[in-house]
Amino acid sequence: MWKKLDKLVHNRLILDRFWEIVGAVSIRTKILGLALGLVLLVGIGNTLQTRMVLIRNMEAQLRDQSVSVARDLAARAVDPILLNDLLALQDLLLETKGNNTNFRYAFIVDQRGQIMAHTFGEGFPVGLLDLNHNGNFDHHHTVLIDTDEGPIFDTAVSILDGKAGTARIGLSNVSVQQAVSQVALQSVLFTVLVLLFGVVVAMFLTRILAQPILELVEATRMVSRGDYTHRVHPWANDELGTLAQAFNQMSQDLAQIHELRQEREGLQRQLLEKVISTQEEERRRIARELHDSTSQSLTSLLVGLRMLETNCKDPDQQQISDLRSVATQTLDEVHKLATQLRPNALDDLGLSAALERLTFEWQARHKVPIDLAITLKDSRLPEGVETALYRIIQETLTNVVRHAHAHSVSILVERRDGSVIAVIEDDGKGFEVCNSQGEYHLGLLGMRERAELLGGHLTIESNLGHGTSVFVEIPLFTEDNLDGQKETHLIGG
Amino acid sequence: MRKSLFIPLLFIFLTPLFFGCIPRQPYEVVGYVNLKDLQPIQVPKQEVLPLRVAVASIVSPKGTVQSYEPLLDYLESQLHRPVELVQRRTYLETNELIATGQVDLAFVCTSAYVVGHDSFGMELLAVPQVNGETIYYSLLIVPSESSARSMADLQNKVFAFTDPISLSGRMYPTYLVQQLGFSPDDFFARTFFTYNHDEAIRAVADKLADGAAVDSLVYEFAIARDPNLAKKVRVIHRSPPFAIPPVVVSPKLDKDLKRELQKILFSMGDTAEGRKALESIGVEEFTTIDDHAYDDIRTLLSDVEKTR
Repeated sequence: MWKKLDKLVHNRLILDRFWEIVGAVSIRTKILGLALGLVLLVGIGNTLQTRMVLIRNMEAQLRDQSVSVARDLAARAVDPILLNDLLALQDLLLETKGNNTNFRYAFIVDQRGQIMAHTFGEGFPVGLLDLNHNGNFDHHHTVLIDTDEGPIFDTAVSILDGKAGTARIGLSNVSVQQAVSQVALQSVLFTVLVLLFGVVVAMFLTRILAQPILELVEATRMVSRGDYTHRVHPWANDELGTLAQAFNQMSQDLAQIHELRQEREGLQRQLLEKVISTQEEERRRIARELHDSTSQSLTSLLVGLRMLETNCKDPDQQQISDLRSVATQTLDEVHKLATQLRPNALDDLGLSAALERLTFEWQARHKVPIDLAITLKDSRLPEGVETALYRIIQETLTNVVRHAHAHSVSILVERRDGSVIAVIEDDGKGFEVCNSQGEYHLGLLGMRERAELLGGHLTIESNLGHGTSVFVEIPLFTEDNLDGQKETHLIGG
Repeated sequence: MRKSLFIPLLFIFLTPLFFGCIPRQPYEVVGYVNLKDLQPIQVPKQEVLPLRVAVASIVSPKGTVQSYEPLLDYLESQLHRPVELVQRRTYLETNELIATGQVDLAFVCTSAYVVGHDSFGMELLAVPQVNGETIYYSLLIVPSESSARSMADLQNKVFAFTDPISLSGRMYPTYLVQQLGFSPDDFFARTFFTYNHDEAIRAVADKLADGAAVDSLVYEFAIARDPNLAKKVRVIHRSPPFAIPPVVVSPKLDKDLKRELQKILFSMGDTAEGRKALESIGVEEFTTIDDHAYDDIRTLLSDVEKTR
């Protein structure tokens, strides 16, 4: 039972190994192997079969021939033997020799076992006489004798029931072997010819079968690269043709889906852009409102309170002074709020000034040093880019305060050929980027969205205990950015 | 990977080819012989000299072996000495062997005896007795369909002689033709020798010859053995009786042995083996006759010789 199971498992392993090998070769090799293997198998089988049948038949024929020749010789040797006519006997042997192909030797032995006549000329081969003994057989007896000249069928026929001796004849097997070798050689040559033909056919087959597959592979690669326009040429109306058609259909469907998705993504983007720009505009409006209207009102209130304080009596003076300090504080907070919402500097002086102010205020408030390096070549960036970079840096700094517990922060903003990059690094505790969740995660997503809306990208690298670095790159003068700029201006105007 | 895989696969496919090249031997080989290793044939000396018995080719050599085998076996058992059968194609060849002593005992034809006796002293040992007599005839036979009724009707036909000096097969028909005033060469269209009587009967039966003269003893023996033969041939003439073909010995044979042989032959009817041997050659017993019984034949032979 276990042995059987072992054997099964073993067979299974062999099968697996076989498939591992066969499966690894290309279709070309498989088809070639199949064609050549079949031809070889048929060729070899045919050769072996022909050889076997030929040997069997020809040897049987030779054996029969040896018997019939020996019987003929025995019948015709009776009179010369009985009449002691050795000359006639010798002539008879020579005549037998002349009349038979495959003849190798013949000799006559008298009833006392003495050789009367033979065809060997000078002398007689040692040991030949005893190899096929007349005596204990009915009429004839055939044996196969191995000689230096190859196998020989030796037949002994008793003459006159042994009263006049025995006729022996040896027919050589060499011609049989030659004929068989020749046929086998021809068969092998034919197999080789068919094999060559098979190679050509297999090549052709391979081309027919493998070419469409290779084309499909190439087309698949193109689709995976996003090129849905490529179509496969259906070679034939077979399975591969069907596959090609199905593939083409799939490409077409994918192209449609891709188009739909792009359309949807475009809409989403537009929506997002709208949301962001609306938010930005709202903030700007509120900031301006706070600055222009609320601050003015508060300032007027302050002026009023100061005048009241100057003109008032003592008991109220303290109260007014308190109110004034509340108003002053409120004014500061309104200022701060307005700046946070939308710093005027960003609109009026540009990104550099806005960032300098942001970092200055941030350092002052959180007591963490910031190393700010800005290289913008004295020109304003598109407004959308400036806003995005400002907000990304602002959000990052907020995160540093909330989560990083950093000792220092460095910010690099640099304009390069066709793009602007920003790198914000801190030496805080860091976090697992892929494990970020919740509000923090949403914040990071918002940053990335902003960058991507402008055709840029944002990368965060962080490890627990090794700080965090945020890398942003936004291309300049792309359609997205210009659009953004235009829109902003429109809204701004 | 692919290349390294191809070689074992090729090997697997090619392996049967090599097996196919191994020659198959369906028959058992009994031994090995070097056909170029030729040695002179050794002829062992015979320790006991056999008694050499010649039988004239009255019937075919094969028929002789079959008929005389029991007789030779009998002689062997009686003499306690191997007996060897010697046959020659013609009567004259046999006579020569008897004359030179290469043959000890011989069953010869009548005319061969007459010639042998008169030329080198061939000695008469015994004669077989058949049908109670020691005589035989020459029979003139033709195919059964033949219209011939006598030798005269066979003119310009094909005639088969047995042996050149056979009395019944050559001398007597020659005598008949001479009586008609011809020589055989003029009389017959063609003649040929069959060298024994069996073959002469067969030649007529198969119509190779239009006629032949044969020994009556052989003819009767042949008819008895193969009754179909009687339907194929017809006897149209019977000669006067001739003294039967005798058993002779060489003049060089030891006299004691001659007497012993005579004794063995005469007493053959006494034992079962002996009777069996006699039966095999169609003889009742062996007896003696005088040499004068052959005088008629001497006359006939000399007549034929003279006319020729």
